[in-house]
Amino acid sequence: MAPLPHAAGGGARMSAAIEVRGLAKRYRDVVALAGVDLTVPQGTVHGLLGHNGAGKTTLVDVLATRARPSAGTARVAGLDVVRQARHVRRRIGLTGQYASIDEQLGGRDNLVLLARLLGARRAEARARADELLQLFGLTASATRPARTYSGGMRRRLDLAAALVNGPRVILLDEPTTGLDPAGRLDLWRIVRALVQDGAAVLLTTQYLDEADRLSDTITVLSRGRVVAGGTPAELKHRVGRRSATVRFAAAADLEAAGRALRRGGFRPAPAGERRAVTVPVERAGELAALVRVLDDAGLEPDELLVADPTLDEVYLALMSDPAATPEAVR
Amino acid sequence: MSPAREPVPRPVSWPGSRLVTQIDALTGRSLRALVLDPRVLATSLLAPFLMLAMFSQVFSGMTAGSHFPEGIGYIDFLAPAIMVNTSLQSGMLAGTNLSDEMRNGIVARFKVMPIWPGSVLIGRSLAELIRSLLRLTVLLLAALALFGFRPGGGVAGVIAGAGVAVVLGWGLGWIFIAIACWLRGAELIQNVSGAMLFPLMFASNAFAPVEGLPGWLSLIARINPMTYGIDAVRDLTLRGAAGLDAVIAVTASLSIAVVSLFVAERGFSRIH
Ligand SMILES: Nc1ncnc2c1ncn2[C@@H]1O[C@H](COP(=O)(O)OP(=O)(O)OP(=O)(O)O)[C@@H](O)[C@H]1O
Ligand SMILES: [Mg+2]
Repeated sequence: MAPLPHAAGGGARMSAAIEVRGLAKRYRDVVALAGVDLTVPQGTVHGLLGHNGAGKTTLVDVLATRARPSAGTARVAGLDVVRQARHVRRRIGLTGQYASIDEQLGGRDNLVLLARLLGARRAEARARADELLQLFGLTASATRPARTYSGGMRRRLDLAAALVNGPRVILLDEPTTGLDPAGRLDLWRIVRALVQDGAAVLLTTQYLDEADRLSDTITVLSRGRVVAGGTPAELKHRVGRRSATVRFAAAADLEAAGRALRRGGFRPAPAGERRAVTVPVERAGELAALVRVLDDAGLEPDELLVADPTLDEVYLALMSDPAATPEAVR
Repeated sequence: MSPAREPVPRPVSWPGSRLVTQIDALTGRSLRALVLDPRVLATSLLAPFLMLAMFSQVFSGMTAGSHFPEGIGYIDFLAPAIMVNTSLQSGMLAGTNLSDEMRNGIVARFKVMPIWPGSVLIGRSLAELIRSLLRLTVLLLAALALFGFRPGGGVAGVIAGAGVAVVLGWGLGWIFIAIACWLRGAELIQNVSGAMLFPLMFASNAFAPVEGLPGWLSLIARINPMTYGIDAVRDLTLRGAAGLDAVIAVTASLSIAVVSLFVAERGFSRIH
């Protein structure tokens, strides 16, 4: 096989793990991606969010060299996914939205086969398979055909299969769909460990808490366009502010608190729950002021909660914004 | 946060696999499905046996026909044709089964691995070749033991004839692999492959001498590599020697195999 070229400009280590510029992908009359920009540095997790059909899988497919971009460029580890597809393939690990394993073979044979195809000798291949089976808790069912596996076991085998060649860029399309809560936590731990070890992970998910907890940066896609991006904290600040919820046992206290807070310059609003108000508090000093106002009024709340807006609120706000969801371009 | 560092897969530095390793590993994988699954194997062994039984009964009156070589029983005339057809059927199965294979998730994974996509097809085809050899063995044993097949070419002639049959079927089988790689959908592939199989099989001297076929059919039969293959296999099994027919048949089917392999590989690895 041809020797590996050095990545563009010889600066493989300097370039981002994933770099996407103006990427468009059209399937006949469907515009799956309409100009996407995205950068994922090595050693980070990037979460890709979006409604069904937003283009997440298409983006992963382009990066995995199994869909050809209609316009724009995509580079993985500094290598162009179209012109240097073969070299990109050596560097990525992919877990697609649908399991890519051989159902007839057992977990071990699946992994041994992949390792041999990637250049391991027989003994190395077996050792690698055992190592991954161990890591994903599949040792006990290593020899029975994968078609007898549960959905979650299949998913784990598929993830193990993506890691056979120790990839530095890992593409995971809805990796935790179908996993039980323990399985999800396991996967999160593995993803974090891989990233600590220096790998870059791009993962799509429909679970916002997952994106929130796991990602360093997030991109929200809608109809093939990026409608928001940034760290989870940045995204949350875009839609809402930190707020305090104050709850009282007595209705009279609630009214008194409302009056006191308005006099103190706050803007209390009735909370969803009974006998509670929410007050936007952006800075720590405001929170102290809020407590002082209540104290001065002789009011003792039953409960006082300070919370950031959740990513769910961000996401729903983005998706309900008509400007964020342009009609598909024809 | 956690005190113990989570284990990650050890880094590896494999150089990538050589083509022979790819073909070896992928042939082994396909063999498991085709040969090591007893139910699949048993049914595939039954087909040539049934073909022999049916044709020997239905067409046994043919020896009375005027175009028939003197002194040769119909079973002796038929068995070589069934050998070639069995092998051709294996070739077709290599293609039509590929559509099931495409639905196997691992093929999607192969496509994004740093391997030559053609090895997936070659692995498949070689596994089918081994199954074809098994089918031929069963067929010959049944013909000898149960149907009174008494080939004049002796053991060497029969083995040489079987060899030509296998090469012929394997080579032409690549046409079906190419069809399967370019068409979408199992049913379409089945239909197109079936439509290809019939002229190959019947527009030939498989069941009746070419001279006995109607004009247009005998014309097709004369350019059909199957005709030369069947002649060669007949000569080898019945007389123990073969002429130019064998060379034409083997050269034609291997050329078809090489061209079809590259056509198939392009279809298989194309992306949208
Ligand atoms: N091979 C294809 N041929 C035609 N259209 C396609 C193809 N693949 C995807 N599309 C279309 O492209 C759009 C984006 O699909 P994609 O699979 O990328 O969405 P997604 O964000 O992954 O959705 P989901 O959350 O449902 O997995 C959809 O309208 C889809 O119908
Ligand atoms: Mg998807």
